[in-house]
Amino acid sequence: MESDRPVILSARNLGKRLALGGEQLAILTGIDLEIKAGDSVALVGASGSGKTTLLGLLAGLDTPTEGEVRFAGQPFSGESEDRRAALRAEGIAFVFQNFQLLAALTALENVMIPLELAGREAPEALARSYLERVGLGDRARHTPRQLSGGEQQRVALARAFAAQPKLLFADEPTGNLDQATGQRIADLLFALNAEAQTTLVLVTHDPALAARCDRALRVEGGQLHPEQDATS
Amino acid sequence: MSRGLAQRMLRRHWRGGELRLLAAALLLAITTVTGISLFVDRLERALVLEASAFLAADRRIEGREVPPEAWEGQAQALGLATARTVGFTSMAFSDLDALLVSVQAVSPTYPLRGALKTASDPLAPGDVTTDTPAPGTLWAAPRVLLSLGLEVGATLDLGAASLRIDRVLTDTPDQGGNFLLAPRVLMALSDVAKTQVLRPGARVEHALLLAGEGAALAAFEAQLPADFEARFDLEDVRTGNRSLGRALDRAERFLRLGGLMAVLLASLAVALAAARYAAQQADAVAVMKTLGASSGTIRRLYLGQLFQLGLMVTVLALGLAYGVQAVLFELLSAYVPVALPAPGWVPWVLGTLTGWLCLLAFALPPLLELETVTPVRVLRRDLAQASRKGPLYRGLGLLALLGLLFAYAGSAQLAGWVLLGLGGTSAFFAALAFVLLRSGRVLGMQAGRAWRLGLAALSRRQGASIVQMLVFGTALMLLLTLSVLRSSLLDSWRAQLPEGAPNHFVLNLDSEDRQAFQHALDAQGVAPQPAFPMTRGRITAVNGETLDPKASRAAARLTEERNLSWSGPLPEGNEVVAGQWWDAAGAAPGLSLEADFAENVGLALGDRVTLEVGDQRFDLPLVALRRVAWDSLRPNFFLLLSPGLLEDRDATYLTSFFLPAERQKALPTLLRAFPSVSIIAVDGLIAQLQQIVARVSIAVEVVLFLVLGAGALVLLASIQSTMDERLREYGLLRALGGSRQRLQGALVVEFATLGTFAGLLAALGAELMIWAMETQLFGLPAQSHGILWLLGPVLGVALVLTLGLLATRKVVSVPPLTVLREHGA
Repeated sequence: MESDRPVILSARNLGKRLALGGEQLAILTGIDLEIKAGDSVALVGASGSGKTTLLGLLAGLDTPTEGEVRFAGQPFSGESEDRRAALRAEGIAFVFQNFQLLAALTALENVMIPLELAGREAPEALARSYLERVGLGDRARHTPRQLSGGEQQRVALARAFAAQPKLLFADEPTGNLDQATGQRIADLLFALNAEAQTTLVLVTHDPALAARCDRALRVEGGQLHPEQDATS
Repeated sequence: MSRGLAQRMLRRHWRGGELRLLAAALLLAITTVTGISLFVDRLERALVLEASAFLAADRRIEGREVPPEAWEGQAQALGLATARTVGFTSMAFSDLDALLVSVQAVSPTYPLRGALKTASDPLAPGDVTTDTPAPGTLWAAPRVLLSLGLEVGATLDLGAASLRIDRVLTDTPDQGGNFLLAPRVLMALSDVAKTQVLRPGARVEHALLLAGEGAALAAFEAQLPADFEARFDLEDVRTGNRSLGRALDRAERFLRLGGLMAVLLASLAVALAAARYAAQQADAVAVMKTLGASSGTIRRLYLGQLFQLGLMVTVLALGLAYGVQAVLFELLSAYVPVALPAPGWVPWVLGTLTGWLCLLAFALPPLLELETVTPVRVLRRDLAQASRKGPLYRGLGLLALLGLLFAYAGSAQLAGWVLLGLGGTSAFFAALAFVLLRSGRVLGMQAGRAWRLGLAALSRRQGASIVQMLVFGTALMLLLTLSVLRSSLLDSWRAQLPEGAPNHFVLNLDSEDRQAFQHALDAQGVAPQPAFPMTRGRITAVNGETLDPKASRAAARLTEERNLSWSGPLPEGNEVVAGQWWDAAGAAPGLSLEADFAENVGLALGDRVTLEVGDQRFDLPLVALRRVAWDSLRPNFFLLLSPGLLEDRDATYLTSFFLPAERQKALPTLLRAFPSVSIIAVDGLIAQLQQIVARVSIAVEVVLFLVLGAGALVLLASIQSTMDERLREYGLLRALGGSRQRLQGALVVEFATLGTFAGLLAALGAELMIWAMETQLFGLPAQSHGILWLLGPVLGVALVLTLGLLATRKVVSVPPLTVLREHGA
């Protein structure tokens, strides 16, 4: 499906090294990548292959030791941490393996955080409507501790989509859930994604989940390879 | 935006309990400091007011000449109250008999502090009055009437004046610690001229009394002329009454020390609680940064929380502090019914300032470091936060702490000793704790037995364990130091006024009457006290040069006629500070003076002093200077001679006895049997001193209690700071099959070991600190406190174990799955 949709995220010659006991350890080298708006891309690979590190670099959570990342045509990876945070607030959302909800806040308040950070109008109503869309309208006042793992991940999905991001990063979103719950979360994720036409970057080692994306890329030996049977 | 979020997070964190310890520590800091300051401030005002009664004024200007009229005008212009007195001794004559009396002629405003008590009958208790004797009348002490066989309404001749006895004078505020030889008579100042006793050369003390605000008094003192000191003495509460002055000084030092320690402990608790809160927030900050929060947003968010928390806690703490001290004073007023002055504004400001300094110096740094948390932490938790500002903030915190220390101590010396003690013992503690924990190499968890598991846990968390041992040790050390000092202080006060201390002094006891008087006391079941021979004499020349009393105030004081005594052995309560006391036999004749007196009049060891006693004249070397325990209400003499110079028949005797209140009726019998003997009751003075000591003792207890609370909070904060790690470890062990009993046992071993070591370190530190405090600050004799070595470890184990097990009961009670889910990630 070749199209003239704009490139929303690109990486060029991206690399990350860590100094370990006086030696340089290359975790990622020479990563080139282009993702167009509306695409869904799976990053797959074995544990420790560096796929989570790549996600951190692409999302501007960490800085590369070489190369650069551009987001929506703007320089991204070389910017200051606060500038990257501001760009994330405008158009990037996350879903994590371990949910990453703030334990002290209620479900509703957790969904409100990115809206408030981006200075959106009427954050509470918006947050509430998204909680209803993930089927947790009646659990708005509950704290994460009072929710099951599946419910917590639904709150995380509501938080991600309520911000109406251009780009959504999902890091093993079903990794902490049993198969049935994981399946329902994955369905919800792809349904919401299709509806909002968000660009999705999904890190997973689950081939079935990867298969639901437009294409899959394998991280191996610190480098990126196209997955053979990506799209079916 | 962030204000709403800050409020919401504050509310949630409060409910979740994360902020409660921080708030409690801050609340305690402000409440303690404000409470202690309010209490000390009011107590000080009350004590000074009460103690001022001993002078009948706040300041007393006394001299051989009349203090100039102009001074009185200046004082009044400054808003000070004034009164004048003239004191002299004179024979008082009834129709049949005569008696030496001590006359105090007073202006109508006398006394400015304290109260006079009068009665209509010599044996009746007195009632407070605000009058003074009207012209033409006098008020006489009961003994005047009893000795002369007079009743109220009779006439007494003083010099050329004939005055009617209008009332019986039972109590005057300024009879002071230097008891009078002769019973007191109070008359109107305007009648003094009529008596014609104030001839040149007569021994008369003119006094101008002043009372009012401290600032006005200081302003007045600043206006006094340069030659003032040569002509007059200026007395305040502390110089006017030595025993009281010492007691007040010590009490104030102790209360200040307590305040100091409370501040230190509270700061420690605030720092620990804030550090833990910040550590707990690191994940949340990483999430918020991932979601787009900038460093500025994070900073505003947590500053906002801290500010709101500080504001609420401050209001609450100030209210609480007022309540606490009000309740305390309500309790106190039952002991001593004295009107208590309202507290000044300084304590409020001091307390608030302390709270905010505490917050800014100790709670702010770890929270500000949160803005340096990197968002990548959401993916990889092991990435430590990079902190650039830590050292700067900690340095600022330390500076603030030093400032606080000096502000509270009010004396660089006090703060210096506390700092030295803390710094020295902390360094020593750290080194020792390191060695103790290092001594056993630990493999794995050693989960086979409870005690090995517990010890291994301590050793594994070596850094945290050392910090905890230091914190426990320091808190315990301060508590031990304060409680031991408290008992030393109370003991010294109690020793000063023991139960059954003589409350009556007997003067003018002839050597012939001595036996008979002792028998009379025996008959009343009253135990006799040692008797001192006493006579009066005056110094007329020093090193062959005759002294002129008009030349200087020092010469005037030196040539006054004084009581003197002689003794072979050094009397109890006396200490030779320079020179040599004469030994029992064969020593050359000599003279000994009280050290301060010798210094004031400019006499030094080796000076030859010419002394006239009656018609005898002695030329004696000054061989010994003595320090006298003025704290005790024992007979004390400025001037003592070696034995053998004067014979017993030259002297009358001074002795004392204790007469319980319910046997006071025996007094008139004694007085009638020995009409020449003067008996002076000092039970009023003793009661006054005892009341003051009782008040101060309560204040001291309260301060100790508050500091104890601060210490407990520190222990709690310190245990909480390793809670998360403990929960994780023990949760894992339980999941792997560790029984509750074994884990509980391990916790007991861990906390008991920690408590024992902390207690031992505390005992060592306290021993050193107490030694320094007692000898350097409180002027108490140095002594070893063996009990510390028992008390330290026992208290350490008890406190640490109780608080530790209470705080970690979750570790063994919460299902391991919950623990691992919440703390395992």
